Amino acid sequence: MALPNKVLAGFSASLYMQSAATPTPLTTANLSVWTGQVTTIVGTAANGTGGAGVLLPVEAVPAFGQDDAVASFGVAGSRQSDKIPTQSAPTSLSITAAWNPSDTALLQIRSDAYNGTVDRTFVVAAVDGANTVAYAFNGRVSQFTIDASPSAEAKCNFTIHPRGNQYGWSNNT
Amino acid sequence: MMTVEQAVEVLSTTYQSLDAVAQGMVVDVEELEDAIAAAEADSVEAVCLKVLSKYNT
Repeated sequence: MALPNKVLAGFSASLYMQSAATPTPLTTANLSVWTGQVTTIVGTAANGTGGAGVLLPVEAVPAFGQDDAVASFGVAGSRQSDKIPTQSAPTSLSITAAWNPSDTALLQIRSDAYNGTVDRTFVVAAVDGANTVAYAFNGRVSQFTIDASPSAEAKCNFTIHPRGNQYGWSNNT
Repeated sequence: MMTVEQAVEVLSTTYQSLDAVAQGMVVDVEELEDAIAAAEADSVEAVCLKVLSKYNT
């Protein structure tokens, strides 16, 4: 597999998810496999869509990764204490999207939030030209709200909480 | 000791951390090296074998 060996100055990121109402999320190992796994969600072409996936129409793809977690120790009388990094949780993704009450993907997100326990595979696809780098993770949706402020278009806000350890990177060839 | 095939089966179907699961697996190193040589790069086998090789050298 060839990764683009350059700074992705002009890439675009988009968020995909499995489309089934009760999906079987990819296993941890398969989250790192492009062919036949991640491609079923994001498709084989850059900015495409796989047969088992759908594009989430979000305003922006938020930061993703790991939270910070340290254990802090201090000794009385000592000038310096110590921060020891410990196992951290994945960063939750707080997402805003224009609220379209008939959008299939957003309705599925709303349904997942009502349920609360649906594990689903999501993919952040970074595309530059024909190159796609994919970050796939399993997560659950929570805190779905609709902001119908009269001063702007209606928005929906929701949070995706990634499951611990269930993530993987892959890229097209 | 388990076979590489059994280890890959477990690793490819788990939702746990691959490192945490692979740490408890002991496989034959030669069998593992042969499997790595035969595996396709972009496959679930390759991902599992790579993690296995971290703890079986």
